[in-house]
Amino acid sequence: MSRAEQNLAFERLVRPHFDRLYRLAWRLAGSKAEAEDLFQELLIKAYGKIDELAHIEQPGPWLSRVMHNLFIDEKRRFTRQRMHTVEEAQLGDDGVAGLAASGAAADDPVANQQQLERVQHLEKALAQLSDDHRIVVLLHDNEGYKLTEIQELTGVAVGTVKSRLHRARARLREILTADGTLS
Amino acid sequence: MTENHENSGQQDDLEIQALLKDLPAPEADAGFYEQALARATLQGARRQRTRWVLAGFGGAVAAGLAVWLIGGMLLNGPQLPDTGASIPEVTMALEEPRTVNLVFSATEAMTHATLTLSLPAGVELAGFPGQSEITWETRLNAGRNLLPLKLIALTPAGGELLATLEHDDRNREFRLRVDVT
Repeated sequence: MSRAEQNLAFERLVRPHFDRLYRLAWRLAGSKAEAEDLFQELLIKAYGKIDELAHIEQPGPWLSRVMHNLFIDEKRRFTRQRMHTVEEAQLGDDGVAGLAASGAAADDPVANQQQLERVQHLEKALAQLSDDHRIVVLLHDNEGYKLTEIQELTGVAVGTVKSRLHRARARLREILTADGTLS
Repeated sequence: MTENHENSGQQDDLEIQALLKDLPAPEADAGFYEQALARATLQGARRQRTRWVLAGFGGAVAAGLAVWLIGGMLLNGPQLPDTGASIPEVTMALEEPRTVNLVFSATEAMTHATLTLSLPAGVELAGFPGQSEITWETRLNAGRNLLPLKLIALTPAGGELLATLEHDDRNREFRLRVDVT
């Protein structure tokens, strides 16, 4: 197979999963810059395993698992959480920025502003969760992953996933009640 | 726990789930996928040829704007001399964030290392507005450790960025020339 043919074959295998993988990268990493790096590193790794990838019946879950493993490996190797937590919390943009220009409340500036503020508070609250809790609650309650899918992705037992989900919601409830987002 | 309290908690959970459900889905910038694919095929092919593995996430970073400062460190002596290599340079556009990746190669794991970042005038670290010097404690694993820094130039002055890593009585400095256009 020529290099061009190999590149084309690779693109056909991975492109259908790009949007889901990109969102997963964001949910794992918690910031746009890291999500893009993680997504990039996944593609580089996957390209090196194109022969294996080509024989996988469902490339999506395989790619997701590889991405999760890359994320975990990276967490173990590098200690930069503090920098990014502070950075993202203070910037408060990225995930929020597009809301004002879209969404159902776009015609109602007051409602739109209120919704924007709620989202900002939610993102700040999410940033206070541990990675394990943040990832589970986002994948389940935002991305719509089933518990078994999270189990498959993370390698954590369903019971533990449920426990993390419950605790993450409870912690969010605490934070959002304290800051007045929830009454 | 009373039944009312439980019901209240369940109600809050539903409210939280609704909030989470409405959290905007992150979308990639236009052209990001194409750039990522191009880099993957280029670097993947290079890796296949050389079996050389790049460190960390940093095969590329956002919009391809990455500069790598790589230094071996902590061999002997309280103050290691510079490597003698010329100071790397990065050119930034005014008010456009750019990621600089610092890569520290440590011969052994180090807890309680201190990293101090001194920024040139008019250049800020995203998330730390108005701070020209930022110090924090960190831990390094044996091998390569990566720290991405998102910098923003607010004035065209530019200058030299200095990162100082200290552990016990040893330290190492990393310098980067920042030009702003």
